[in-house]
Amino acid sequence: MKKRSRVTRLLVRAFGDERRQAFTVPVFAVVMSLAAAAILLLAIGKNPVAAFRALLSGAGFLPKGSYSSGKGIFTDLMTTLSSLTPMIFAALAVTVAFKAGLFNIGVSGQMLFAGFLATVLVGYSALPGYIARPLVILIGIAAGAIAGGVIGLLKYRFNINEVVSSIMINYIFQYVIGFFILTKFVDPVTRHSKAIVKAARLVPSGVQIGRYKTDFPVIVVLAVAASFALKFFLDRTRAGFELRAVGAHPKAAQYAGVKVGRNIVLAMTLSGALAGLAGVAYYLGYYDSITPKALSSVGFDAIAVSLLGNSNPIGGLFASILVTAVDRGSTYMSSAMNVQREISQVITGLILLFSACGAFIRHLVNRAREEDK
Amino acid sequence: MENIVEMRGVTKRFPGVVANDDISLKIRRGEIFALLGENGAGKSTLMSMLFGLYEPDEGEIFIRGERVRITSPTFAAGLSIGMVHQHFRLVENFTIAENIVLGAEPVRRKLGFLPYVDMRAAGAKIAELSRRYGLEVEPEAVIEDVGISIRQRVEILKMLYREAEILIFDEPTAMLAPQEIEYLLQILKNLRESGKTVILITHKLEEIKKTADRCGILSRGKLVGVYDVAETSTDEMASLMVGRELAGEAAPEEHEFGAEVLRVEKLDVIRDRMKKVDGVSFSVREGEIFAVAGVDGNGQTELTDAIAGLLRSSGGAVTLGGEDLTRADVRERMEKGISYVPEDRHGVGLLLDFTLGDNLTMRRYYEEPFSRRGIRDERAIAEYADRLIERYDIRSGRGYSTVVRSMSGGNQQKAIVAREIELDSRLLIFVQPTRGLDIGATRAIHEHILNQRAAGKAILLVSLELEEILALADTIGVMYGGRMNRVAAARELSIDEVGAYMTGVRQ
Repeated sequence: MKKRSRVTRLLVRAFGDERRQAFTVPVFAVVMSLAAAAILLLAIGKNPVAAFRALLSGAGFLPKGSYSSGKGIFTDLMTTLSSLTPMIFAALAVTVAFKAGLFNIGVSGQMLFAGFLATVLVGYSALPGYIARPLVILIGIAAGAIAGGVIGLLKYRFNINEVVSSIMINYIFQYVIGFFILTKFVDPVTRHSKAIVKAARLVPSGVQIGRYKTDFPVIVVLAVAASFALKFFLDRTRAGFELRAVGAHPKAAQYAGVKVGRNIVLAMTLSGALAGLAGVAYYLGYYDSITPKALSSVGFDAIAVSLLGNSNPIGGLFASILVTAVDRGSTYMSSAMNVQREISQVITGLILLFSACGAFIRHLVNRAREEDK
Repeated sequence: MENIVEMRGVTKRFPGVVANDDISLKIRRGEIFALLGENGAGKSTLMSMLFGLYEPDEGEIFIRGERVRITSPTFAAGLSIGMVHQHFRLVENFTIAENIVLGAEPVRRKLGFLPYVDMRAAGAKIAELSRRYGLEVEPEAVIEDVGISIRQRVEILKMLYREAEILIFDEPTAMLAPQEIEYLLQILKNLRESGKTVILITHKLEEIKKTADRCGILSRGKLVGVYDVAETSTDEMASLMVGRELAGEAAPEEHEFGAEVLRVEKLDVIRDRMKKVDGVSFSVREGEIFAVAGVDGNGQTELTDAIAGLLRSSGGAVTLGGEDLTRADVRERMEKGISYVPEDRHGVGLLLDFTLGDNLTMRRYYEEPFSRRGIRDERAIAEYADRLIERYDIRSGRGYSTVVRSMSGGNQQKAIVAREIELDSRLLIFVQPTRGLDIGATRAIHEHILNQRAAGKAILLVSLELEEILALADTIGVMYGGRMNRVAAARELSIDEVGAYMTGVRQ
């Protein structure tokens, strides 16, 4: 303990308790990012408190000044939930891979693959809703699992780094699916894929609830349930233990008798299945069509969201809510406060940036404490 | 004689422990002063304060009679204090000469202004130092191509190049073969002859007996006393160091062995395209401790990894109690009766970031009672862990829920040994089971090994410490260059013979 600055000593005092770190560090990251955002808003001459209020209003957490007919805080909240669902699934996909020591940067590609297959197979069919919707979910899971499992298999069989293979596969999905959409399923007006039938859409739109006409994203319940299920899987089941052991200490896991290769494939399959769910919730829920030759940013933002959530499924759930709320609220904030929409994107960026700093803070604290020993 | 170093009432506290408690010590110019103590007794902390890595909380340090505050290693170097750390600090892709001059380069100016490092002058000085102290090195060789013993010489030359007068050695023999140790001890004596002061941190009593003039003994952060080595027996030193009388370890008595348990036939293991194990054959019987001696990196780890199923063998056979296990995986071998305490405690033997409970059950986590229908039973794990913690005296901060990374090395190793013994296997493999452990923990682990032998288990022990092998082995096999060159009953081999085989002097 030679020269230790006052700052690090303060950090150790605030975040030294390892058990609370999972909570304190992300909260600190969020507070720091809001502070930075406030400075930014002040610099362009806006009232940060009012801006943050507008942000929350836009996301449906606070009432707006006025609504058009059939709209209200409830409809705003439903739209936010609808956009939240893919983010939760995608963050879970990143988390489960990460727990097994893998970096699934291919979530967006897997989403696209699952969304496309579900769209083509069910989206244009005449099946009734009670068959079509479960089918969409099942196809999403299966397609995603295959797309993810292949990446795991490539790593296990041929030792191909999963980052390289998933980026490559992202491109393949992006352009091959783009080709099929543009040649077979394109809507000549929007230049997107043709809109799917209402019965297949996981977020029924225009549902009359009370005096509101709203999107009704029931699937968010599934996403929340999946978060808790994954938490249980990782913490309490034998397979989850094996997966975590492989991720944290592969050699020790092998010594313990865990089949390392099989767990890599399993983790990527699971990750892909969750990405597939994100895909159908996105392309057949929040939207009802696919933009050709483009990947959604959800799969990439989910990496940061998962980190912000401390690579914990429940943490990821809260992080998803935060990031989606900011993202959703930004439109209203920019119009209500008369700031550019880019500013709110900068705020989202700040949150993600500081979430990466969370790992750094933890590292700093733990190192300072090691030196004390 | 003049005191070159004096410490008065030096105290250093770390959160939760007093590493050094009111230590007063005088070291004379031109002597070899040994600092003896168990792991965690505070030897390294004390010397780190002399070297400027820490500053004392209380107390004063005098160098050559002058009171000093040593604030950094650079400051220590200015006082002619040098230190050879346990882990060398060398630039792998630099030559020996470059490493030696690094940080103290002889800078000259070409044409009066162009600065350059005068390697020729440096080379001449290094050659002169090598000759004077008997430290043979090739100045042009690159560090990554030379062995540990040479690297250590480079570290010593680094200090001498900077004209250090007080030379601190932190456990310098830990990684050396017997012949290399002899060589190093001779160098320490050479250094003393030429008037240098040598401080030797160690817990090996023989080395102290052979070289040191005086010996300071630390126990639990306190200085027990300073003794004249010539007048103190190693037994006395050992008991002073642990603060209690040690019962002498029972010499291996002659006894009968039972049936053959492990048979290894013409085993080959290839790793990184190199044949690490080359046609090794031997067998271990019930009630027998078969010890493998050898210098680090001669195929011992690969041999045991292949027997335990962590590495695939490329030829030959492994049978256990007559059953061929050559193709079996790790778990099958464990279930058939192979316990394994691996060399790499942190990387292989433990899930470092998992709890003690997880670690004590990590070989059997998949079966009842620890998992039922795929769900882990935390209560069963905790109960089992508590039993082992109690029976094997494993100390930790929070019992079974302690994260293993935060435990001390000795207790981590006790946990591994406990887990593997409790598997109740026919064959137990121990690789370097006591490396880096203090005498107390070492004794406890040796006792466990001997008890297992008494219970009729077959034991395969790999160690780099000849003392350990001689104390425990019934049969000794010596490995050199991937081959097992000599297998004989322990009483038929002398320490010199084993040393000659393990360094390849005899094949």
